[in-house]
Amino acid sequence: MSHIEEIPCVEVLSSVVFIIEGVVEESQNPQAIASHLNSCLACQAEVDHEQAMHILLQDVLRRSCDEKAPEDLHRSIHEELLRQATGGAGVTEVVTQISMTEISIEIDEFGNVEHREIQIEQTHVERYEDS
Amino acid sequence: MASKDLVLESATDRNARFERDAIVYTDKLYAAALRYTKNPEDARDLVQDTYLKAFNSFHQFEEGTNLRAWMYRVLTTTFINSYRKDQRRPQLASGELEDWQLAKAQSHTSDLGKSAEAQALENLPDSDIKRALQEIPEEFRIAVYLADVEGFSYKEIANIVDVPAGTVMSRLHRGRKLLREKLTDYAKELGYSTESKKGKGEKK
Repeated sequence: MSHIEEIPCVEVLSSVVFIIEGVVEESQNPQAIASHLNSCLACQAEVDHEQAMHILLQDVLRRSCDEKAPEDLHRSIHEELLRQATGGAGVTEVVTQISMTEISIEIDEFGNVEHREIQIEQTHVERYEDS
Repeated sequence: MASKDLVLESATDRNARFERDAIVYTDKLYAAALRYTKNPEDARDLVQDTYLKAFNSFHQFEEGTNLRAWMYRVLTTTFINSYRKDQRRPQLASGELEDWQLAKAQSHTSDLGKSAEAQALENLPDSDIKRALQEIPEEFRIAVYLADVEGFSYKEIANIVDVPAGTVMSRLHRGRKLLREKLTDYAKELGYSTESKKGKGEKK
């Protein structure tokens, strides 16, 4: 038994956005919507109008929003990327640790340093920051 | 060196790849930023920030997925997180957006209303189209812009804006409706059409 449920106009009209987008889901009862549209001229006209308005609205929006970035923005993005690539500021955290160890020291009777041996260790850690 | 293995890609190569692949979107991102921020200075800064952020997280971008959509995602989240703050506009509650009851109040439009609306859209200058877009709430504006100007699918938009797909559909529906109402109002003011679509009053 195949029975197509009858649905009122409001139900079809509230699905118009889905019909326009072509994404009517099973839960929205596409068969019932299609059958309603076949027999209801007013709803069919509404869907046609919505479709036409949708295309018209897209056209005017695309036309009026078609703007180009200023030339110096292109340039400054390029420069910024170059700076990032070479300097890496903000990307990589660099930690440099210096430690000094005194090995030996010889001081004469006047308090002057005669000989001094120290060891300096430098560790360099680069940490990549995941943002 | 295994050229296919991106893990082995050097930082220099990756940087070069980013600039080569992403830079082509500058004009489009700027046009979107203008509609998001409503002014050229902020739009500039937003696009510059977007490239900076995208560059620094490019290692997270999955090769083979949609770079254009990813760039819009960076642009949109940067806008929402940083540029919107000073506008102090509360976000719409998500429950409110899912409410389809509003849509159910719809009825059939008269033929007169239909032709008046089409005529309004056809005749309005670009400046009025942009003004109408600026006047609708931000959530709607972003959804409508991404769908109708950029041609993203509602699923892509859900990913770009980071909201459920149902919310996107609702925003699209209500955003387009608001936009068309505004445009019809402007056209009436300009005298392109004298017929009121639904006998609706002027906006506030």
